[in-house]
Amino acid sequence: MKKLAVISLLLLISLNIFSQKSSDTIISNNLQNLKLKVLYFHITNRCNTCFSIEKYVRQTIDSNFANQLEQGIIDLYVLNCDLPENQELVKKYEAYGATLAITPYINGKEGKSEDLSNWAFQKVHKPEIFMEELKTKINELIK
Amino acid sequence: MKKLAVLQSLAFALTVLLFFSCNQSTNKTNEQAANDTTAKVEQNNMDSIPVSDTTKKNVAVKQKTDLPNVLVYNSHITNRCASCIAIEEATTKTLKTYFSAELKQGRIKQYILNVDDEANEKISEKYQAFGSGLFVTRVYKGKETNTDLTGDGFKYARNKEEKFIEILKNKISEYLK
Repeated sequence: MKKLAVISLLLLISLNIFSQKSSDTIISNNLQNLKLKVLYFHITNRCNTCFSIEKYVRQTIDSNFANQLEQGIIDLYVLNCDLPENQELVKKYEAYGATLAITPYINGKEGKSEDLSNWAFQKVHKPEIFMEELKTKINELIK
Repeated sequence: MKKLAVLQSLAFALTVLLFFSCNQSTNKTNEQAANDTTAKVEQNNMDSIPVSDTTKKNVAVKQKTDLPNVLVYNSHITNRCASCIAIEEATTKTLKTYFSAELKQGRIKQYILNVDDEANEKISEKYQAFGSGLFVTRVYKGKETNTDLTGDGFKYARNKEEKFIEILKNKISEYLK
């Protein structure tokens, strides 16, 4: 009985770890071509608004910048900020909860990051505006 | 005949007496009336003291309303997430810790709004608050200035509360000036 309980517990823990890890997305294809990093951080227990922001960020990139993503001009990071392996980036971006940030790269050199969290939460309930404005911003930075 | 003359003079004398007595009483009434008016004026003068006090009070009230007021709105849906609850808790903590005097004076007001509640439809529309949100509004001379701190709330309130409190405190302090 005890063994069964221990096995169940271990199974639950491992499932939890895997489910957390599976939520991380890192698309980074060619660092030499990199012009922009788009990063979205979230906590483990996410709300609808948080899911929506990720969804519209992905939709913006998939619909308008699929080629740039493939060529490595744009990198996309979707990270769980509660995971230990992400803590370095969490500190760097002060991403202690849902955070959307973009970092430009000029000739391989990292530029000043912009925090779009307040903007994202303001616009998330109007997806068309959200995606249009994000598209414009990304276009400006990868010129 | 003599008797008649005496009676006539007596009647005249009585009439004269009556006339004077009536006249005196009328004068007295007028005097009283005059005195009453004076009393009324004095009373009015007495009233003028509190009036001037009220004016002073009005000045004080005016001075108070001349200062900006701050409205803090925490919006949420019915099923709340951990971040949303953390934002409200940290907001309340900020207000109680740093702005208890302004809360008592009524210069700061905190509103917790469930945007799923039809009663809050109008205010939700105004702030475009369709989910969890934090809005700080400065009201001064009928003009409103608003800052949306929702993003900062989601970013910091749960795991970096002190940073969130600092941001909110600074914004409210700025808006109270």
